[in-house]
Formats: sequence, C-alpha cells, structure tokens
Amino acid sequence: MRRALIIALVAALLPATPALAQQTVEQRLAAYRERVERLEDQVAIENLQADFGYYFDKGLWTEVAALFSRTGSFEYGMRGVYVGQDRIQRALLLFGPQGLAPSHLNNHMQLQGVVIVADDGRTATGRWQGMVQLAEPNANGIWGVGIYENTYVKEGGTWKIAKLHFYPTAMTDYDLGFMKSTLPMEGQSALFPPDSPPTEVYRSLPGNYIPPFSFDHPVTGQSLKDLPQPPDSVLGRK
Amino acid sequence: MRKALLIAALATAAISTPAVAQQSAEQQLDQLDARITRLEDLNQMEILQRTYGYFVDKGQWTQLSELFTEDATLEIGGKGLFLGKHRVLEYMQTAFGPDGAKEGMIANHMQFQPIPDVSADGQTGWIRSRAYVMSIGGWGLPLYENAFRKENGVWKISRLTGPFTMYTNWEGWGKNALNNTWPDKFDPPPDLPPSTVYLTYPAYYIVPFHYPHPVTGEVFRPDTAEVGAYAGPPGSAEQQRWANTGRWVDGSQPIAEPPKD
Repeated sequence: MRRALIIALVAALLPATPALAQQTVEQRLAAYRERVERLEDQVAIENLQADFGYYFDKGLWTEVAALFSRTGSFEYGMRGVYVGQDRIQRALLLFGPQGLAPSHLNNHMQLQGVVIVADDGRTATGRWQGMVQLAEPNANGIWGVGIYENTYVKEGGTWKIAKLHFYPTAMTDYDLGFMKSTLPMEGQSALFPPDSPPTEVYRSLPGNYIPPFSFDHPVTGQSLKDLPQPPDSVLGRK
Repeated sequence: MRKALLIAALATAAISTPAVAQQSAEQQLDQLDARITRLEDLNQMEILQRTYGYFVDKGQWTQLSELFTEDATLEIGGKGLFLGKHRVLEYMQTAFGPDGAKEGMIANHMQFQPIPDVSADGQTGWIRSRAYVMSIGGWGLPLYENAFRKENGVWKISRLTGPFTMYTNWEGWGKNALNNTWPDKFDPPPDLPPSTVYLTYPAYYIVPFHYPHPVTGEVFRPDTAEVGAYAGPPGSAEQQRWANTGRWVDGSQPIAEPPKD
C-alpha cells in the first residue's frame, strides 16, 4: 500500500514521461518556451489593464489613449463606440478635464481579472470587475460597479488594448445606497458623438444585465456568451 | 509522519537545483515542466475563484455548481456543511432563488486578494481569498479558505469554506452589524452542523491559514485563551462582555439562545 503510494507519487512528479520521451530536447524546449511566453503575456496584460485604471483615475487621457492599438475602440456604457487613439483621447474629455481637477474623484478600479491569452500569443481577452468611486464639485459622491470585457492585441511585441468595453451595472448616491438610489447611465454625446452607437443596449440597476463572458466555463468548457438575461419590465422581457 | 517526510524529500529533489550540473537535459526539462505547470495551476485556481464570484453576482447557480467536484463540500457563514455538488446547487437555488439575475437586484461578490498554493504532486490546491460584497442591502466581507483538486487535468473546487468577517447595511459598520448566519436561519438545512462556531464583527474570528508564514515559516497558531471582540476600550465593561462572547479557540461559543434578526 505504502509502496503503491510512493510509486504514484514518483509518477506524479515526473508527469507523462513515456510520451515526453518521444520528443527531442529541442521540441520540449520550444513547447516550454511557448508556455512561459503565455504566462509573461498574461502578466503584461494584467499590468496594461491596471495602468489603464491608474491613468483613467487621474484624467491622464493622453496616457490612456496611448494604451490602445491603432484601430482600438473604447466603449463606456451607453455612450457609444469611439475608434482610434485621437477620437478616444477627445471622447475622454467627456469624463472630465485632462489631469482631473480639485474636488473630482474618478476612480475606476481594475479587479478580479480573468485573462485568457490565445494559443498563438497574438490576442487575448480579459474580464474585470470595475468598482467605481466618483465625485465632482457641489455634488454628492457616487458609488458604482461594472464589468469590463476587453480584447488585447500584441503589436510589435507590445500588448495594447484592441477593444475596451466597460459595462456599468449599478451606480448610486454615496449616502442613499442601491435600495434608494439608482443613477442612470450617460447617453451618447451630442457635443462629440461616437463613431457608432452602443454595441449592446441595456440599462444599469434596476436592470441586472449580464455582460457576455469572453471566456468559456473553466470546468465544462461551455460558452458563457449567451446566458439568459433577466426579466426587464421596460423591455417587456420575461 | 514518515509519509510526510518522504513527500518533502521527493518535493525537494524535484525542485531544488544545486545538482543541476549532474543532471541530464531530460531531467532538467522535467523540472522545468513541473515549475511551469505549477504557475499554470496557480493561475487556474485564481480563475476558478474569480469565476465563482462572477457567477454569484448574477445567480448563475448551475454554472457555479459545475465548478465543484462531485464530492465537494460547501460551508458559508454559520449555515453548516453541505455535502456534494448537487447540494451546492440545492443550497444556492433554495436560499437565493432559481438561476438567473433578478431585476432590481445587485449582489456582487467581488473576489480579491487570492493566495493560491499547490501540493508537491500538483494534484491538490488551496486558496485564501476574500469577497467584497456590494449588494442592494449593503456591504459584506466573506473570507475563503478553499481547496481544489485536479481531475483528469481539470482543476475544480473540492471544498469551499467561506466564513464571514462582517456584514452591514448601507448605514455602514460604524452603525450597524448583522449577526452571522446559523443552520436554520433559512432553507435548506445543512447536512452537518457548522465546523466552527464563531461570531462576526464586532466580534472576530481568525480563520486558520492553509500556509505557514512566508518569511518565518512559522505555522499560525490561535491563542490558547479565550478570544473575544474589540468592542470597547480595554478594561471597559463592554469589552469584558465581548471578551466572553466572541468565539473560543476550541470552536465553541457561549450562545444561550439563537440570535434573532
């Protein structure tokens, strides 16, 4: 019994030796290099998204826009889609002045990331939990939360944001809370209209929209892109 | 004991590198494979934990239960133990309603601060992690000490232990604190009573760590005396009362009557 356990342990420590024996040293090295690169890609993307948040918090719109790929797109709630670094940089002024300003708070935390890098290491997806804390002069503070579903692309060896889509799902007055206050999302700007309308139309709380998952169920492998959306009295969805 | 030693010896042999020069290229590659696999395994456990949170947020109970092994156990708050994947699903659907997000609801269980670990043989894992609950009713702080198992190359949750730290309404923890849950607070009843009885904030319970101190290597040991809550200044009557009301380290708790909402 004990010997069987030892054999099992040794076998587990030298995983799949029979199959590997057929591979050359060069083949194994190449395969492991790929796996290490995918891990490095993931770290780079986690940092990229965290950087996005740190810049966005402080209204560093030039820095934010420079994180996007040449054809990158930015979509925030119901504001519509802005494409390309120049358009994105100007659209960000709708969120506040460059470099923020006194009495402003624009915290967009980037949390709970699930990053999946494609096998070829050229693209990746990421889902993030976005806690939000806002303030502006002469107004009460705002608590909020939402989901990011982003795609990334490696251009010239550097990871960039190919598509950033933030779905605010609930916003409320700091003192009142979600039970007494649900703040609506901003719509499309008339002053600086988006390049295209929102890709998905939904409403934040009291709606309870489920942003489609970019990644498959980690155990069953089933797609989570098309989960049934909750009833919505405005849309007449039961 | 002997078995533990043996495992430690094997693990050391497989990981330490001083003897590299005498090893064949294949042996070095085997070790490299094990180290890469370990990083991938830690990643996968974090993904499972975070995905669990995303499913809780939107009431995706069927998908949530599919993260678990068939023989998994689940214990949340003071509700007691639920045995088996089917009971995980029953717990969620009975306590919180059928699958799906509900209009007018927010119940975000945001998953932060994971510390994953994997066994030397790469088949078992653990995580210490926390949820920050932002919900229609207020704020909450569950902690997790969960276990994972690799089945046919796929990591699953084999044990979820989620004791609560603090729950409060929108007034905040300066003004309001909710009791821990208890086995018959809501349906369904558990298969086994709670593994540990403890109180939540303003009392406290230090959830045992699955890992030793990362620098000193010391294993955390709870005090052997009574441990209560810091509910008042030291020496005050209030603090004296709480010192005898918080959890005791043997898991017992002097509750004369079930707490009431």
